[in-house]
Amino acid sequence: MATERPESRSMGDRLYDALFHNYVWRSIFRSGYPNTPRNQMLVVATNVFLHLHPTRIHRTHVKITHTYCLGGLSFFLFLGLTITGVLLMFYYVPSVERAYEDILHLEQDVRFGFLMRNLHRWMAHGMVIMVLMHMMRVFYTGAYKPPREFNWVVGVVLLVLTLLLSFTGYLLPWDQLAFWAITVGTNMVGSAPVLGPPNKFAMIGGFEVGPNALIRFYTLHVIGLPLLAATFMAVHFWRIRRDGGLARPL
Amino acid sequence: MVAAAQETAESAAVRAKARRARDEELLVWPDLVFVEFIAAMVFLLALTALSITIDAPLLDRANPAVTPNPSKAPWYFLNLQELLLHMDPALAGVIVPTVALVALGAIPYYDQSNEGQGEWLSTPNAWRLMWIGTAVGSIGSIILILFDASMHVRIYEGLTHGKWPVALNFIRNARSIQNDLPWPAWTRAIDTNPILRTDLLGLPKMDLSINIPELFVAQIIPISLMMGLPIIFSIVLWKMGEAKTRRDHMIAQFAGFIAVYVVLTLVGTAFRGQGMELLPPWLVKPPVS
Repeated sequence: MATERPESRSMGDRLYDALFHNYVWRSIFRSGYPNTPRNQMLVVATNVFLHLHPTRIHRTHVKITHTYCLGGLSFFLFLGLTITGVLLMFYYVPSVERAYEDILHLEQDVRFGFLMRNLHRWMAHGMVIMVLMHMMRVFYTGAYKPPREFNWVVGVVLLVLTLLLSFTGYLLPWDQLAFWAITVGTNMVGSAPVLGPPNKFAMIGGFEVGPNALIRFYTLHVIGLPLLAATFMAVHFWRIRRDGGLARPL
Repeated sequence: MVAAAQETAESAAVRAKARRARDEELLVWPDLVFVEFIAAMVFLLALTALSITIDAPLLDRANPAVTPNPSKAPWYFLNLQELLLHMDPALAGVIVPTVALVALGAIPYYDQSNEGQGEWLSTPNAWRLMWIGTAVGSIGSIILILFDASMHVRIYEGLTHGKWPVALNFIRNARSIQNDLPWPAWTRAIDTNPILRTDLLGLPKMDLSINIPELFVAQIIPISLMMGLPIIFSIVLWKMGEAKTRRDHMIAQFAGFIAVYVVLTLVGTAFRGQGMELLPPWLVKPPVS
């Protein structure tokens, strides 16, 4: 380049270099601040969270009306539920003697306890709605078509896991609403011919909803199903990339 | 020479096409990441506001001795609980959801074409079929629910100020086919215990005797309706020339399924009062113990 570097650099430039071109920043992020196309692509390609995305995307897929962010928001709600759920676990003991008192204690005595519980509850309902709407979006945009057939099946599995996560969480407050909703729900399973009763017995660890059901639902809710859901989500997101990103008209 | 020139021209065309595709692309950072960030923030704020204003429900401590009336499952299972009122519990609670999920998962293996991909309802007729499916699914399920709640009897008695004819008692609702028709006594209890022995499979001994009127009302009629009506719907669409391809049929069926799902969920949530009686939402009272 023929242009000469100016003698003195502005305060802003020097600050910028000090913040984003130093040894520590480079050790963490590998690329400079993403204000040039090169750095913007590097930041997506070299960051473990952002590399869920490709570095470039077709302009129609950025339009909000193409996806309404429904799948992304389902994932966002899953993350929010994980965070609020971990905080709730600090205060909740899954025993018939303590569960209900712990919820009362959480609502009345714990700072922001009510907020954590309310957020967890409404996010859980929101996630069921989001996942259902995401399924409708994928169907109506024909995004299940080849080569994305199997990812649709993974999505159906995730829908079931979402419902099971919500259902197992429903019992945990151990109030009348929880107890009888789970009684009604598990009775439906128990009504199946031949295999129903043993399955119901395995689900709730007895003939009626009680301490065994509470600990089973709790364990599934806080570790079993989230791990399973996270695994299927990893497959789901990976397959989106492998199958060529979002569906495009031919 | 000619071949080489052709090759150059072709590769130039390919490169031009690739360039055009590139021109249509945006960088994920900032164009997509920004949208995602805004969406996440809007939802976080909205949910926080909701959580500050509306408390999650918490009733009295669980008491197995006190059954609330009505006892309802979580809202996303109330569609199944609604089905439970109209058919055999095994059918409503296990078989229908299983079949529905398998059918959902099978959609891409049935409709393998590439048409209508990547754009909202982009095949010809797609929007029309979606609306037809929604209308047929919602109106059909509402009619069936009203029939089982004897709405036609109430309307008839309201209009004529008379009584529903005794001869027609068997179509007051689905259950009256079982109760108000002169079924021979033997049809109500066919002993199968000597033949169907679950204890031989290592399962608890179960009575699997057959009650034909019960079987007819709780299983045969619901299965015929749930299988038959969608098939008739597709045949009618095909004969009318509305649905030509598999994608067309899938759109109509999927829209119908969603409509039925929503109607059943809404009815189960807002229209079922004590004893799961069908009521308008403003007459539905909170459960009593």
